[in-house]
Amino acid sequence: MSATHAPARIGALWQQRMETMREYEVVRDGNVFGSSFSNNVVFSSDYEKAHNQLDALVEKYRNVPFDTVFSGTEVFNERGVCYCLKCRQSIKIPLFDLDRFRSDIMGDLTLVHGIGPGKEAWLRAKGYRTLQDLMQHPKFRSYTHDVLTCLYDGNSAEIMNLIGCRHAKSHPYVLGTAGLHEPENYVFLDIETLGLFSRPVILFGVGMIEDGYLAVHQYLLRDIDEEQAALMATIDHMSGDRPALVTFNGKSFDLPYLSDRLAYYGMGPPTKIPHFDVLHFSRRRWKNFFPSLRLAALETEILGIHRKDDIPGQMVPEFYETYLRTENCGPLVPIIEHNKQDVVSLALLFFHLLGESYGCR
Amino acid sequence: MAVADVIRLLCTNPVYRNRVVHVEISEPEPPRFGTLAVPLDDTLESYLDQHRIRLYSHQCEAINRIRTGKNVILTTSTASGKTLAFNIPVFEKLKSDPEARALYLYPTKALSNDQLFTLVQMAQFTGISARPAIYDGDTPQSKRAAIRENSRVIISNPHELHQVLSWHAKWRPFFSNLRLIVIDEAHRYRGVFGSHIALLLRRLVRLCHFYGSSPQFILSTATLANPLEFAGKLTGQPFELVDDDGSPHGRKHFILYNPFYDGIGERSTYQETKDLLVSCVKDNLQVLCFTGSRKMAELVTLWAREDARRISARLAESISAYRAGYLPEERRLIERQLKEGTMKGVVSTNALELGIDIGSLDAVIIAGYPGTMMSTRQQAGRAGRKGGESLAILVAMANPLDQYFMNHPHHFFSCSHEHAIIDTGNPYIVSGHLLCAAAELPLHDDRDQEYFGESFYEILPELESSDLLRKTSRGWVYSGRGRAADAVRLDGIPGSTFRILCHGRLLETMDRAQAYREAHKGAIMLHQGEMYVVNEMDLETHTVRVTETDVDYYTQPLKKVDLTIIETSETRMINGVRCFFGDVEVTEQYTGYKIKRKDTIIGVELLVLPPLTFRTKAFWFIPAPDTEQRIEHLQLDLAGGLHGAEHAIIGLMPLHVMCDRWDIGGLSSPAFGENCEPMVFVYDGYEGGIGLAEKAYELLPALFSSAHELVRDCRCDEGCPSCIYSPKCGNDNQPLDKEAAVLILRDLCTFTEKSECPVLSGESGQAFL
Repeated sequence: MSATHAPARIGALWQQRMETMREYEVVRDGNVFGSSFSNNVVFSSDYEKAHNQLDALVEKYRNVPFDTVFSGTEVFNERGVCYCLKCRQSIKIPLFDLDRFRSDIMGDLTLVHGIGPGKEAWLRAKGYRTLQDLMQHPKFRSYTHDVLTCLYDGNSAEIMNLIGCRHAKSHPYVLGTAGLHEPENYVFLDIETLGLFSRPVILFGVGMIEDGYLAVHQYLLRDIDEEQAALMATIDHMSGDRPALVTFNGKSFDLPYLSDRLAYYGMGPPTKIPHFDVLHFSRRRWKNFFPSLRLAALETEILGIHRKDDIPGQMVPEFYETYLRTENCGPLVPIIEHNKQDVVSLALLFFHLLGESYGCR
Repeated sequence: MAVADVIRLLCTNPVYRNRVVHVEISEPEPPRFGTLAVPLDDTLESYLDQHRIRLYSHQCEAINRIRTGKNVILTTSTASGKTLAFNIPVFEKLKSDPEARALYLYPTKALSNDQLFTLVQMAQFTGISARPAIYDGDTPQSKRAAIRENSRVIISNPHELHQVLSWHAKWRPFFSNLRLIVIDEAHRYRGVFGSHIALLLRRLVRLCHFYGSSPQFILSTATLANPLEFAGKLTGQPFELVDDDGSPHGRKHFILYNPFYDGIGERSTYQETKDLLVSCVKDNLQVLCFTGSRKMAELVTLWAREDARRISARLAESISAYRAGYLPEERRLIERQLKEGTMKGVVSTNALELGIDIGSLDAVIIAGYPGTMMSTRQQAGRAGRKGGESLAILVAMANPLDQYFMNHPHHFFSCSHEHAIIDTGNPYIVSGHLLCAAAELPLHDDRDQEYFGESFYEILPELESSDLLRKTSRGWVYSGRGRAADAVRLDGIPGSTFRILCHGRLLETMDRAQAYREAHKGAIMLHQGEMYVVNEMDLETHTVRVTETDVDYYTQPLKKVDLTIIETSETRMINGVRCFFGDVEVTEQYTGYKIKRKDTIIGVELLVLPPLTFRTKAFWFIPAPDTEQRIEHLQLDLAGGLHGAEHAIIGLMPLHVMCDRWDIGGLSSPAFGENCEPMVFVYDGYEGGIGLAEKAYELLPALFSSAHELVRDCRCDEGCPSCIYSPKCGNDNQPLDKEAAVLILRDLCTFTEKSECPVLSGESGQAFL
């Protein structure tokens, strides 16, 4: 016996409630303290600007058909259909100095269980300079054997794990294991979502190296219904030949989010592949150089990229919601641009760091 | 024997004698032990031996039934060993099925901690790897994963569960092996909160089914009139009841004590409470006294100490208050002094009826009926726990419910009439949980309706058209901007909330209706027994600013109620009176407030607030034409009679349907609607209704006759706070006519042949001012 007509008020009621919920805070311009404290702040001028931009876009794209704005293709798979936008751009990939990396690793005695920096110095003084030398050591021989077996026979994930266990996960040696992959193995990933967890992913940006170019495939949800197909298309990229995932903050955000959405649709988790989170390496490299280590800040500082008409990532949900509600595709334009630039900057930053550590001089 | 001395004093002393309106003696009961269908395994057997426990009959019955896989609800008395009755089968399950997991839900942190302690001990002793742990808002992030992975018994609370469900993928090992869900103190989950919990449990069960498990439920509650119905509504599953208490108790004396026996009441309930407390303490009884508020606990303590000081300083020192704000050390000191016997009298608030570790006492004094029979029993149960002779005294206040019990003791001591209400059909509550559920797993039209009831198909498209859900090939997917679980509060109906700030600090939050009523500009507001004055109510930002104050006056809001019948869904004739149940639209408009000192009005202020309109459930009735004629013939006031009858019925609603006075509203009119018929309405004070009027409609004959007895047997002449005056009346108790009210109520309870009248619908009326 539900009250007649009551549901008509229910939708409006919850909608009002949602309007008041925002997952970011708008702070006064220049409040560096506020912005470095939390990732979820938007400067008030950016907030204003984005809102004006949203209004302008809705105006500009009124009655403009989707197909005339975007020239993507439909992708079909067992989970349905989704929309894919492709583009490519040139990128400079540093040549990886594998010999230098190998010699660094071989000279790192601390990879052996029981050897810390002090012990290493002592062993070096005794003439043990490489892991091979340690094979002669009566006490460390068997541990060293395990390490060398891993280095010779293991895949990049096992080697990465070995180094990560003996050093910080953001150590340049860990980054260096990326050099064990061909550039074509890298999968650069950045997702745009409707919020912080348990809501749909609305855009999946995937970057790959093809013929020396960076190709970006963006799987866009024209409607929420397309999320499963887009998820499937995205994880397909991660199941190729020796893939290695590269993200910015993906260990805490993008990857768990993907797993969460896969579980939501009753799909299995993505296969475990080596994962290089550029945020971690950036933090180690530039921690005391710049006030903010967000991708947008680093791309300006390091890569000299200045985005035009970009929107704050936290405001993507508002833009996408406007699209869903009005079917006006204007608000999608900056979302797609934002995501594409994120993927490009991620790749550039990754190669920058890798080049700094192990580029051929 | 000291208890007997005090009882003799109460029954002979001329001051006390008149006020003692009833003494109920329950004879001592020896323990009854039981046998298990299948004996316990050695580890559990030796655990019991070690603790010198022999299982009572109800414990054995519970264990036997739980072992068969049935859902079981236990309703035996406080301290009858309910915890052990469910811990044993849980541990048996953990032992026999190495993958099995169990979830315990507790309403408070203190209870969770107590239970953790018990479970850890049991696990240690028996060597069964339960690895019990608490998982709640205080659990550090770093420990959470390990608890989810390894703990086989997790203790949590509903609020945490509500947040956790959307992370179900991480809980997969736990949910897919969840065999038992234990809900202790389940009676707390009633009313609006209970209805939310019921839907939260539907969400949990839905996820368990998704992961391939179907957990069994074990509930424990205080005494209810409808345990099986309640358990069924809370969990959505059938239950078996275990209520035959085998635990022993000593001789108990329960005294009903009425300071208003003469219809006047020279001294207040609290003054009388203080006298009784001092008398007990003087006679060397250890006594626990319960008061309604923290402030009264402090005052009663202060007065009692002053009195006792005339006898000796040591006696004065042996009386103390005990409340939530005290530091743990202070509490432990009082608890220790009680055990040692140096502390004689402790005065506490109702809130501490649980989670206070002071063992058994000689006597309990309850100052004012605590609102439910259930709480009364729990408080009185504090006396004589170890089986000795004991005393409990209920000191009445001057309100309808208290006075009804004083005049009708048999009602007080007979079986429980209280129905705990859960409404899983309120579309406002259901819709919130549908949003959460859709964020957990896509909602399927054909599979998921069973969890969420009839309104499922009606609500989903509405949520879609508000862009909160999208229909996809896999089902309905949540697409709202905010996190669904954050948008749904478990203790309210969705709507705007007001924040009450004192010097920028958040005191509490209120929904709009409560804020208009209690926190309008100029209102004197109580929060945890402290007094505040409202300086400002900002309707734009939903903020109320208050400051502390200490004044001797109080405020009372005035409101106008409009009501329209939307749909009549049921009708019945009771003693020739047409009674209805259905949907109504209520508009409440707060127009002003009175400032009063005692009963004197010292000022009236106007308020400008927008009207509150909501659709809800109501029952209503139309007194028979001859009742109306008789009232006219006797030159009584029909309007005053209807108004008085409305107040009496609302006043006694909590006797039958567990609720707070604010949960229900009423309206009476001598000429309602097109046909200008006299009518009385009683409605749920929540958007969508929460099942109170619905249940009361079922129980109308009992409700009517108790209301009739209340007014008929009240000694006043023209109506008083003990019968037809309502302290919360928005019309300031105008008009009222006691004689007419008695006539109307009498005719509701007496069968006479009356003619059938046509059923009406879609009418609107206006209340009195």
